[in-house]
Amino acid sequence: MYSLHLTAEQLEIRDTVRDFVTREIKPIALKSERLEACERHFPVEILDQASQMGLRTLALSEEAGGAGIDNLTSCIVTEELAVGDVGVAATLAQTSALGHLLFDQAMTPVQRARFLPQFLADDRYHLAFADHEPNTDAGWNYYRPAVTQTGVKTTAVRDSKRDWVINGVKDFITNAPIAKLVAVQVRTDPKSSGMNGVSTLLVPRDTPGLTVREPEQVPVWYHGTRGELVFKDCRVPAESLLGEEGKSPLSGGAAIMGRGNPLIEAMNLGLGRAAYEAAVEYAKLRVQGGRAIIGHEAIGTILAEIAIKLEVARNMIWQAAWASDHPGAYADRSLADLPLETIARVFTSEVVHQVTLTAAEVFGAMGVMRDMPMQRYVGDALIFLHSGNSNSAAKLQIAEALAGYQRPVAA
Amino acid sequence: MDFSLNEEQRAWQLKARKFAQEEIRPISLQRDQISDPRERFDWEIIRKGSKLGFRTAAVPKEWGGHGIDFVTQAVVMEELAKGDSSISKTFSQCWKWSHLIAAACTRDQKERFLKPFLADDTYLLGKGGTEPNAGSDNRLPPADDPKAGFKLKAERKGDEWILNGEKCFIANGSVGKLFFVDARTNPNVSIRQGGTLFLVPSDTPGFRVGKVYNKSGWSFYQNAELIFENARVPHANIVGEVNGGVKARAGDTSDFGDLELAANALGVCEAALESAMRHARTQLQDGKDIAEHQVIQLKLSEMHMLTEALRSFVMRVAWERDRTLPDTSNNVLVMNYSTDVIQRVTHLNMDIHGAAGFTMDACADKLVRDSIIWTHLAGDTVQRMKVVKRLVK
Repeated sequence: MYSLHLTAEQLEIRDTVRDFVTREIKPIALKSERLEACERHFPVEILDQASQMGLRTLALSEEAGGAGIDNLTSCIVTEELAVGDVGVAATLAQTSALGHLLFDQAMTPVQRARFLPQFLADDRYHLAFADHEPNTDAGWNYYRPAVTQTGVKTTAVRDSKRDWVINGVKDFITNAPIAKLVAVQVRTDPKSSGMNGVSTLLVPRDTPGLTVREPEQVPVWYHGTRGELVFKDCRVPAESLLGEEGKSPLSGGAAIMGRGNPLIEAMNLGLGRAAYEAAVEYAKLRVQGGRAIIGHEAIGTILAEIAIKLEVARNMIWQAAWASDHPGAYADRSLADLPLETIARVFTSEVVHQVTLTAAEVFGAMGVMRDMPMQRYVGDALIFLHSGNSNSAAKLQIAEALAGYQRPVAA
Repeated sequence: MDFSLNEEQRAWQLKARKFAQEEIRPISLQRDQISDPRERFDWEIIRKGSKLGFRTAAVPKEWGGHGIDFVTQAVVMEELAKGDSSISKTFSQCWKWSHLIAAACTRDQKERFLKPFLADDTYLLGKGGTEPNAGSDNRLPPADDPKAGFKLKAERKGDEWILNGEKCFIANGSVGKLFFVDARTNPNVSIRQGGTLFLVPSDTPGFRVGKVYNKSGWSFYQNAELIFENARVPHANIVGEVNGGVKARAGDTSDFGDLELAANALGVCEAALESAMRHARTQLQDGKDIAEHQVIQLKLSEMHMLTEALRSFVMRVAWERDRTLPDTSNNVLVMNYSTDVIQRVTHLNMDIHGAAGFTMDACADKLVRDSIIWTHLAGDTVQRMKVVKRLVK
């Protein structure tokens, strides 16, 4: 069985989002003041409209009030949004994916009754997952046990009334400046290490003791909006615990195995498509050497190589997305026993970087002007290529998977 | 074969290195982060560099310059570019056109333009060729389209020429005091037959500077629009003959422009290497210096290998130009090669810095942005095709 037909519903949602990007996002995203790498204004008005269209609650189940789309469809939507603006795509993808994870899978009926009505009613209700902490990146411990201690240092202890008191710092948290509800990874068992003894707590943004700091670094090296969350004697009621104590429902799973939903890859692909579409359009208009430059072999070859790279990347992303919707396909040997999402991420980030550079070359000197989009696409592609878990580390993870290496579990 | 520098060359190298370390490097990032492109320029660094001889280094000794040879020019550009690529380019852009003045201008023109250039620390030079619809067409005019190329019109009126039109992306455009300008004196034939080269001082009536371009790399460097509205230029300012602009340029056999970019790229590669080595020796990954990881070692050795190969090629071409050997293609090829090397080496440096996390070293970021300029402002791909005409003949 092999089919790449999209359903009528998938085609319709793709066309709707593509139309929204053309009519509403591009006119704002391509304004020159939004093209500066250092000074990005967050497009609140676009996010409001997107929410009204249902793009904030796409993955949330229909029973809960969302659209209940699968991972493949999420990737299709995310690619389209990123053609218009990577930051918008990143913000919506995070809230939509977390909406499904929290409300459909992890919350108790009581928690759902407490938070879901607000989430549905408020177009500006975004979600964040606070996992990353300063100085805890795993680094490269290829083919051997980790030396440095990684993971969660933020603590939560029960007070006399059984409330949780949280202390610690989380950094580079996607959606931190706009999230109204944060799922925080905390250590509730001080004697444990690694991911053992880690619990998840639900913390509304306005809880006393929680402050958000937006990073001030230059260059800005992330998409969408990120920030630091500081918890100082931040108190939440006992019923804020998500899942069981010491067993966070948000750690581990497919993403850790490199088999998660390839939303970042889809954003990266959408960015490449934006550069590609601009280059093709310009190559048809610009006349040098006696003809439209698309008629020169040198330019034609560049555009063909761009199309090849983007088509192959999309195939890999869709495969990884479908696999995350059908994990049984690994078990029944339909798919290679490899981290397909990680493979798609490395490939996509490398080729889209090349795509944006050569697409910019088609524009000659205009390709490096700050008030034109091409240099912005190049900068965005560099961020995908060199942020988060690096491709160097990702390749080593792939190598461990194909070598069948099992890291000893920390005590 | 002898790869050593003589005493004079060594002295210029050390002077440039000191200036780059003590004066250029401290302002490089700071200037890059200013948002208004005009405000990024810094006359103080130009004055200081000029007093040390970097602005006028290439003017022949008989005209009062320093007359340094091409090997020295390459070494100085490299050292200055290690501090900041676009500040180095602002100085060497003056060398490019002082070579042309020396080679193609009359004694009267040298008196009128070289002397004030030598005397004034803020006198910068530029050349206006590119127009909105004449980029690649100026470098590689299509045989079947004689109207292709620059369109800026020059019409004679008595002892003067009246210039109308505009140039874009012109280097040193907003800060230059004198420009060579390509104009059409016969619109019905190709630019080779109907183009004339004029000397246009910036105080020429009818001449003005338009916008300054805001580039993502080489942000200090001032690329601007030049606008000509009935600009009046004396007949005595024509370089060479009427309709002989291309021939006049050909009189300058230094082919300096290509060597210039390659030598500058070498300095950027060295800055990237220095940045990568410092980072690799001070950052830990999983308990070890990242330089102890094979992944990083392979990147560092590739950076060293490419940088040393570029150095060899640059110095060989400089040596060839000093001997004015018969027209080789090496100066074009080294420019194209430098594009590949500078982009790869600065990319590897960013890769080493981006080993983990959501921040990026501002210096690594700037070096990558500067390196991308090599694709966009020197007609790189066009030159790669054009050079084949020399290679096959």
